[in-house]
Amino acid sequence: MNFLIIGNSAASTSAIEAIRKHDSTSSIVQLSDEEFPLYSRCLLSYYISNTIKKETLLYRSKDFHREMNVELYTGKDFYATRLDVEKKEVICKNNRAFSFDRLLICTGSSPRIPNSIDEGIEGIFAFRNIADAERILEKIPVTRTAVVMGGGLIGIKTALALNTAGIRTFVVARSNYILSQMIDPSSAQIVSDHLREQDIQIFFETDVSEVLTRNNKLAGVRLSDGKIIDCEILVAAKGVSPNTGLIDGTSILKDYGILTDAFMRTSNENIFAAGDVAQAFDIVLEKQAVNALWTSAVQQGRIAGLNMVGQKTSYNGAIGMNSLNIGNLSLISFGITHPIDDSQYKVLVNNQPQRNIYKKVVIGADNRIKGIILLGNNSNAGVLLSLIQRKTDVSLFEEELLDDRFNFGKLLKYGGESEMDRYYKGMY
Amino acid sequence: MKRIYCKIEKCLACRSCEIACALAHSEYETLVDTLRDQKGVKPRVHVQFVDEEGTLRKVRALAIQCRHCDEPLCAQACISGGIKKDEETGEIIVRLDKCVGCWSCIMVCPTGAISKNENMHQALKCDNCPDKEIPSCIVACPTHALIQEEYDSPQNHEN
Repeated sequence: MNFLIIGNSAASTSAIEAIRKHDSTSSIVQLSDEEFPLYSRCLLSYYISNTIKKETLLYRSKDFHREMNVELYTGKDFYATRLDVEKKEVICKNNRAFSFDRLLICTGSSPRIPNSIDEGIEGIFAFRNIADAERILEKIPVTRTAVVMGGGLIGIKTALALNTAGIRTFVVARSNYILSQMIDPSSAQIVSDHLREQDIQIFFETDVSEVLTRNNKLAGVRLSDGKIIDCEILVAAKGVSPNTGLIDGTSILKDYGILTDAFMRTSNENIFAAGDVAQAFDIVLEKQAVNALWTSAVQQGRIAGLNMVGQKTSYNGAIGMNSLNIGNLSLISFGITHPIDDSQYKVLVNNQPQRNIYKKVVIGADNRIKGIILLGNNSNAGVLLSLIQRKTDVSLFEEELLDDRFNFGKLLKYGGESEMDRYYKGMY
Repeated sequence: MKRIYCKIEKCLACRSCEIACALAHSEYETLVDTLRDQKGVKPRVHVQFVDEEGTLRKVRALAIQCRHCDEPLCAQACISGGIKKDEETGEIIVRLDKCVGCWSCIMVCPTGAISKNENMHQALKCDNCPDKEIPSCIVACPTHALIQEEYDSPQNHEN
């Protein structure tokens, strides 16, 4: 069997580990357009703030691919440009063709760059890979002020990193509250207050309308309300979109991302997809959705790898989940936290502003949890997540869910014998 | 693999295990010095109540620690690659030199067994006391509620 894997990050790594657990001999060829050894993109914000060293970015040991017996080709020349489904081969930028029996597409996603942004101008960045991080790091010593476009998770993480690096940082958010994909306005208000305390200022309901330059270098930005901010760095953090280009012109089905079934298989039986590029089943949304998350990528890569090697395993599904720290304020959220039509949901809130605690649970008409916000105290986050994952009917104890004392012990209480059984059998 | 279990009917929720665990994982020899530590010494075992009503003798509680899961969600969620399952021992190991304190592991741990050392930005969890013959929580438990055994069926746990 010849396995071919496109991409070199979370999904591909766990796919390789899953394949090698069951098959040590088949050939695995991997293509990546990035030169740097396998690293964690999620750590890049820690890298630019000088919180971690470059070697800490490595997600696995330097010898990972050799130990896993993977033939890895890296660099721009090995950017996969075309897929020939009939011939079962992938053609790279340098015209080299790689054939496969089974293919895994983990091409990830790319930052959405607004039209107003020209990356050719010095000081303007889309923050996605290690090359971007290096360019930002070079610019930091000569930067006093930075502007981050986008009030989503990546925007806020980037702003916090630049702030930690000693740069005065502004966030420009188009919506009237930040992190709108992740939390609700009330919790966003608490987060915004904390950001302001750290000297990160946010402009709401506005956008960068014009980039001001001097000698092809960034000098400032003009916002839609006319305000001008002098700055040396502008980071576009307007979300990401899946890199589905490889399947263009093929019969493989896509919607927003590449459509996958419960086995992470695309509409072609020999071709799989996982990670940011894949549109896989979402437990809460109850349909296929793109969840561009590290954890989902690892899980999907594992499922893809197992099925590619013939270990039939189905994917339980993804759940939107994120963790963010603003100083010592910790935020974790899951699923649907701010339903547009809340008549279909029961919403419970535990708000203790004096303790910086805001917790919320969104319960569907079927008595299953659809979403959770845990701001402040969240050491039991995973226990609540397990209730979503296992689609537990919470009607018996919903009033206790947001109690600080709700923990694994309560699962044993309400789960009865079967839950005790799980505990004593170590079924986790 | 051997896991540490708590016999719920024997646990008094006295928290002796928590104190012993914090002490065992501190760089000090005495409890007083451990409590004075500024780095945030914390137990990696957590007493949790199953029922809160009733008198102390009737309370149902357990001391929960890392289950060393077969398909560890924490390792899947870890963005730094610092959490791995040791294929030989089955233990889940956290490499603190890689941990950045993002709390992705806490986000997904189904038993809430991981705690935060906020001062050091590190995730803390049970390591089965690798340098000790018997984990310190088990030694400290006055009612012998804590045991370390290979469990395959619930019958084993009776008595």
